Amino acid sequence: MIRKPFVALSLLPAMALLVTLAAVSVGGAVWLALLNRTLRFPDADFVGAYNFLRLLRDRRFFNALEISAIWEVVTVAGTLLVAVALSILIFETVKKPLWRNMICFAFLVPVLLPRVAAAFIWRFLYSPSLGLINYLAGLTGAGPIEFLADPSLALISIAIVDIWQWGLFFTVILLKLLETLPREPIEAALLDNARPWEIHAYVTLPMLKGPIISLVLVKAVESLRSFDLIFVMTGGGPGTATETLDLYAYQMGVNMGGRISYASAMSILLLIVTIIAFTIIWRASRKWAN
Amino acid sequence: MKMTRLLVSSVCIALAMQTQAKAQDMSCKGELSALNVIAQGMPAVTALDEHLAEFNGKWDTEVKITLLGENERRAKARLDTSTGAGSYHVLYIDEANLAEYVSANWVYPLADVVPNSYDIADFRTDLSNVATIDGVQYFAPFTGGGDVMLYRKDILAEKGMRVPNSLEELTAAIKAVHDPAAGYYGWSARGQRGSGMNVWRWTPFFRAKGGEWLDNGMPAFNNEAGVKATELYLDLMQYAPPGVATFNWSDSVEAFRGGQVIFLVESDVFGPWMEDKDKSTVVGKVGYAPPPHPLPSAGWSHGWAVSRIGANSDCEKVVAGDFVGWATSRDMERKRLAAGIASDIGRVSTLQSEAYKALVPAEYIEALLATGKKTDLLIMASPAWPEIGDNLGLVLEELFSGTRDDVQGALDEAAFFAEDSLQRLN
Repeated sequence: MIRKPFVALSLLPAMALLVTLAAVSVGGAVWLALLNRTLRFPDADFVGAYNFLRLLRDRRFFNALEISAIWEVVTVAGTLLVAVALSILIFETVKKPLWRNMICFAFLVPVLLPRVAAAFIWRFLYSPSLGLINYLAGLTGAGPIEFLADPSLALISIAIVDIWQWGLFFTVILLKLLETLPREPIEAALLDNARPWEIHAYVTLPMLKGPIISLVLVKAVESLRSFDLIFVMTGGGPGTATETLDLYAYQMGVNMGGRISYASAMSILLLIVTIIAFTIIWRASRKWAN
Repeated sequence: MKMTRLLVSSVCIALAMQTQAKAQDMSCKGELSALNVIAQGMPAVTALDEHLAEFNGKWDTEVKITLLGENERRAKARLDTSTGAGSYHVLYIDEANLAEYVSANWVYPLADVVPNSYDIADFRTDLSNVATIDGVQYFAPFTGGGDVMLYRKDILAEKGMRVPNSLEELTAAIKAVHDPAAGYYGWSARGQRGSGMNVWRWTPFFRAKGGEWLDNGMPAFNNEAGVKATELYLDLMQYAPPGVATFNWSDSVEAFRGGQVIFLVESDVFGPWMEDKDKSTVVGKVGYAPPPHPLPSAGWSHGWAVSRIGANSDCEKVVAGDFVGWATSRDMERKRLAAGIASDIGRVSTLQSEAYKALVPAEYIEALLATGKKTDLLIMASPAWPEIGDNLGLVLEELFSGTRDDVQGALDEAAFFAEDSLQRLN
């Protein structure tokens, strides 16, 4: 009986701090979204829902929404696929602990690079006239490829950089998880003449369902924060081909006319969409895990 | 007798005030622990690094320069001033945002903050004009100018071609020399969005076609001149290196000095970049000429201004003003020339110096003098310009990259947006 109030009281200061921090920033953004504040003028008028209604007529907003959704799906799915494939490959082919550790160390390097540094490196690698990738493509007669200037390639080219950073990192995590699994179910499958891919498809990966769901959620949240990578590599271009919602909000609120109220309205909508989407994903994943 | 006494008293008071003023100025020594400066990495800015100890010692302060890309610098400086944050005492400012800064009262007039000893009158008139609104100069220019046409004279000689004098001749020449199989492209230009990026290079084409930004206060760049200029720009981009749709000025200039481009109309400041033996593969192979008729030359100027928001105390104002004067002084330009930097020149006396003439080809100086006559501020001189220009830049990038292909529709959309931006000024 005493335990519950004690737990609640212990949590209260931390919860109060978190709620205050969240409430102040969200409340400020909501209030700003109801004004017509721009950076050029110190004063502003109350405009009610005008900014939200204007967003519903803004083709760039819907384009940004679509790009954000594609970005989420491609980077989360790509990261997981790369991580699962590589971790199984290493688990099956590299048996010496020393070699495995060396591979793990190498795979950790990309994620340790600051996003901006990774973006600059890859921007240079992708360069049609000076980049290494296009040089190699040229040797095979395939180049030059406009990775970042071609609207149909730009988003996937940036996604590859994201997957390169996070896919290799997740490979290390999954490999270490595979190593911790009990041997008995695997040996039982071997006695039943199961092939390696069958063992992983029907034994090891289902055993790792919980951790994999956690990794998906972590990556989904991380993918929402890819502003720096996209900003450095394309700035949202060519045109609006890689313009995600956060990038568009920045362009509107800071880079272009400084329409911060409009950008705030966009951020509030993004917050609502994110909360709804993640609640649905969270519930679905819990059902799947059980 | 009374008159003499009055005169003597006046002189004494004036001298006392002057002495006091000087004493007040130096009384700020040690009062400012750090002088924060926002800038972009032009040679005149990065060259300051090795001399900062001199200024730091003079005021017992530490100059902290934050370097950003052009668009980011503009965005961050605006955010800093408009929100009243005032993190930066000295702002790097240019032709694109001056009107906005002056109308919002974010910067001091130059004469109010820079000591007379730095000789403001020695700044180049073409650059000072860009830095001036209603007869008041707001920033100290250290670089700027107009446009020149850079061309590979070795390739033209090899092909027996003469230097184009008109836009039609230039267009034909670009198409004639274009030979990707041989490793070079006829043309390069800025494609990346931004009022200071693709719009900056597109504007001379727009003006050459007779375009005006406004008609009775309403946006008019979606007229026939705008469409024709865009179509020509798009046509020329077919003869540019791959990726040109998102090229910024740096990509374009590097492609030229990497030997991949034959013709380039760019800011004249890049002329000396081509003659840099350490970084250029085309040293001695580049010819310089004014932009071919009827292309006008886009006047521009970058310089230092003192922020009213960041430098709001007397001492901040004094130290920041002295920094602006010191960083753009004749002595600093002499030091830059001694270090081989001839691209960023803000003073007449430096242009006339033997040290400058020794560093750049005579042909370049001739082109500079010839292009000066056709140099003007071609962008819309309005506080709303950054927003209007950036939005126009976006639709142009969409057209250049093939995301959309309706030129008229794209310009109409940008003009519609501009209408709203202009309306907000009223």
